[in-house]
Amino acid sequence: MANVIIDGKQLEVALGSNLFEACTLARGELLPHFCYHPVLSIAGVCRMCQVEIEGMPKLQIACNTPVKDGMVVRTRSEKVKTAVQQILEFHLLHHPVDCPVCDQAGECALQEFYMDHGLYHADVDVEDKLRKAKVKPIGRLVMLDAERCVLCARCTRFLSEITGTWELGIFNRGDHSEIDVTPGMTLDNNYSLNTVDICPVGALTSRDFRFRKRVWWLKVTDSVCAGCATGCNMTIHHDQGVAYRFKPRTNPDVNRWWMCDHGRLLYTQIAGPDRLRTPWVRSASGGEPAAAGFDQAYRRIAAWLEQAGPGRKPVLVASPHAMLEEQYALQALLGEQAGGRVLGYRLAGAEQQLADGLLLSADRTPNAAGARRLGMAELSAADLQTHAAADTLLVILDNDLAGLSPEAAQALTGFGLVVYLGTRLDATARLADVTLPGLVYAEKDGLFVNAGGRVQALHAALPAPGEAKPQLALLRDLGELLGHLPAWSTVDDVRSALVARVAAFGALAGGVPPAGLALDAPPEDAAAGAKGGSKRG
Amino acid sequence: MADSARCPKILTANFGVTDSHTLAVYRSRGGFTALARALSSMKPQQVLEEVKASGLRGRGGAGFPAGVKWGFVPQGTGKPVYFLVNADESEPGTFKDRHIMDFDPHLMIEGTILSCYAVNCHDAFVYIRGEYGWLVDRVQVAADEAYAAALLGPNILGSGFGLELIVHKGAGAYICGEETGLINSLEGKKGQPRIKPPFPAVVGFLNCPTVVNNVETVAAVPWIINHGAPAYRAIGTEKSTGTKLMSLSGPVCRPGNYEIPLGLPLRELIFGPEYGRGLLPGIELKAVIPGGSSVPVLTAQEAMEVNLDYESLAAKGSMLGSGGCIVIGDDANMVDVLRVILQFYHHESCGQCTPCREGTGWLDALLERMLDGQGRPDDLQLIERICAGMIGTTICVLSDAAVMPARSFIAKFRSEFEALLPKGDELEDYVPLAVQAELPRSWAEPASAD
Repeated sequence: MANVIIDGKQLEVALGSNLFEACTLARGELLPHFCYHPVLSIAGVCRMCQVEIEGMPKLQIACNTPVKDGMVVRTRSEKVKTAVQQILEFHLLHHPVDCPVCDQAGECALQEFYMDHGLYHADVDVEDKLRKAKVKPIGRLVMLDAERCVLCARCTRFLSEITGTWELGIFNRGDHSEIDVTPGMTLDNNYSLNTVDICPVGALTSRDFRFRKRVWWLKVTDSVCAGCATGCNMTIHHDQGVAYRFKPRTNPDVNRWWMCDHGRLLYTQIAGPDRLRTPWVRSASGGEPAAAGFDQAYRRIAAWLEQAGPGRKPVLVASPHAMLEEQYALQALLGEQAGGRVLGYRLAGAEQQLADGLLLSADRTPNAAGARRLGMAELSAADLQTHAAADTLLVILDNDLAGLSPEAAQALTGFGLVVYLGTRLDATARLADVTLPGLVYAEKDGLFVNAGGRVQALHAALPAPGEAKPQLALLRDLGELLGHLPAWSTVDDVRSALVARVAAFGALAGGVPPAGLALDAPPEDAAAGAKGGSKRG
Repeated sequence: MADSARCPKILTANFGVTDSHTLAVYRSRGGFTALARALSSMKPQQVLEEVKASGLRGRGGAGFPAGVKWGFVPQGTGKPVYFLVNADESEPGTFKDRHIMDFDPHLMIEGTILSCYAVNCHDAFVYIRGEYGWLVDRVQVAADEAYAAALLGPNILGSGFGLELIVHKGAGAYICGEETGLINSLEGKKGQPRIKPPFPAVVGFLNCPTVVNNVETVAAVPWIINHGAPAYRAIGTEKSTGTKLMSLSGPVCRPGNYEIPLGLPLRELIFGPEYGRGLLPGIELKAVIPGGSSVPVLTAQEAMEVNLDYESLAAKGSMLGSGGCIVIGDDANMVDVLRVILQFYHHESCGQCTPCREGTGWLDALLERMLDGQGRPDDLQLIERICAGMIGTTICVLSDAAVMPARSFIAKFRSEFEALLPKGDELEDYVPLAVQAELPRSWAEPASAD
């Protein structure tokens, strides 16, 4: 360990560790910087993080200085302030200062540092500024403005060190240096929008998000990506009930600083014409289902139950998309309490694609591990067929069985009543007798368990569309219809019951921290972890 | 004071000899005897110690003791050691290495083999600047001759020591003469200097321990092995030992390369009968850039007082640098000269570090504006402010190389610059920089009250 004094504050950090990080600890905020990034190689080119180190005649860049014992460092001295202001002046020399039309405005490092350190009179005339490429689409999702670029080389380092795809490079030299795409390539890998995140200025902007919202109107809610079993930590950026973008939330144990484009663009599917805003009911005499009120939907179920006679045991299908609390509520209320039988949580082999080796998991569902830990198994269309009977009630929780398998769709027609807790007017909703509108992950609180066995919390960012209700409320209503009123009414109640009653989740008693909580892996996950490389620990 | 008459020719012994570039002539004049001797009777460590004791300093510009640099190479790491001969001679005013490679390529090869022997290296590269195309051929032909004579290859002169020498042609970038820029270029990457630490002696070419030495530095090694460190130390001054090849240019009667004993008065180099023989008729000495365009300029008076060694020039605020001695006559305007220099550094900045990328271009633009008669009264203050932001704030010293001439030219020849600038009261809407600087500060005060 090394004892260092930074701005008069004494602290102990690892010998040889990065001085930039030690300064962050001491200051409680980052040093000004463009090129430094915690997981990319050190470029040392922006020269913004210069600090004064006693015994060294010149200012040193903190990002490439290993900490030595006894170092005395000043980050706010006049000498440092003057130097940073000078460096900032160089950065802004040829910058177009087009903030009013720049999407980065409001979250731009140049703007922030100018307010903190700049505030000088510009000595270069607009007509003397260098001209470079503007409004250049360099990929399906990324737009380049080379004039705004500060050449920090974060994007090029990301594409060489993280994805290994090398789409971008810095071409030419000196003040003609310019970020551009490698000849013959476009920036179209599944991680392209990360370059927009790490671009400290408005040089790389998202073609998806451009001009759709000024960032200062956006509210930010912590969440977890539902696009695959990795469970990338993210934030939902939203305003007035509309999601505008997803951004990764740093979690070194899960997604580090990144998120894939596939996951980011899932926000576009939250709303949409096929979202269910009301229940859909098919009348007892048949025909196509039609939009209806909850009264009508529940009357239809109650009528069928009455006709079928008392003591009907429902057949249940859970979902790898449902939250842990919902899976548990289905299992505990409609299963144990009402005597139902959980056939499984997903059709065997469904929603599996190729993993990309970086973040995107082969399993494109967010909470299969949660269902497995509740003891649920996969089911097949044949299992459904076995239980299909005219006097049997089937309850499907958030699982588009009919859309995933024609055989399953066929099996559904054999049940007396199919009640589907869905979110979209999908194939299953069209086959079900009663479809109850639920919420998607961005609209409710709950937990997902990722492939590595980490429990992570999601928070409601958006309002429920139309009459849609949380699935827990729908399950509670169904329980009541079946004559079993649950003891719980909120997510927290269900979570408490889960923690108290399922040993696998006992560790959650103390709550779930923002970075999630790693559970001990059950045998099958441990085996998968050994093969795929566990991200935990 | 050094006596040029008694100075042995260490680097230039074969200059002017017919076919001096051939192995036969080189051998007939005592070539490769140092190598034979070292391989047969000296251990690598002894060669290293001899060079260290000679006080030989790097001739590329920095003047770092060669033997000490070799001593930094960690041995027994399990990684190969690479030796790179820096023949990317591109400092304006410097043209010495090209004559060594042209007239005496085998001297460089012998020096390289000896150096490699000293640091246990078996793979060496000669990195020659792209503009020296014909020298690539010349050195390659010499290397082929040496391979054929078992002076290169797996078993040199039957000693069991092997060395592969690869001649590599650069693509013509000044910055590839910076040792880590050279390493990147040789690896096939963009020729941009690397951030240090780590230093190349530990993590260099292909992430292995690497020594980079200038052509002239390795060319001095055979003589040191043949004659011993004390003989080398006897030449020059106490701290600047041996001889240096100076490239003399400008309006002198006899420009060219001259091997001088270090410590020779600069006056002697310019005016001495064996050297430059004075300025051309009708031209008076105005200034001298003693060590390549990046070093601070000397006034005529300073030039008359200084000796050509590392310490004497440092005492005058300048440097021996690469030995590119540019004489400036009174027919030249110093603003023009500085513009040419700054244009060069603007053109050659690699563009990595912000202060250099933006600063070199800005300085060049200000000089251009000044020469166009569009200068502003505070331009010299602005230049100083830019220089303050550029010096010592970058990965390599290219930024400093632009600042040192800019600062010294303006400090020593200020009147020539001021003559091009209008006075403040000559302009209608002129607001002095100092006042401008106050304006935003004053409205910013409440915000920065923390």
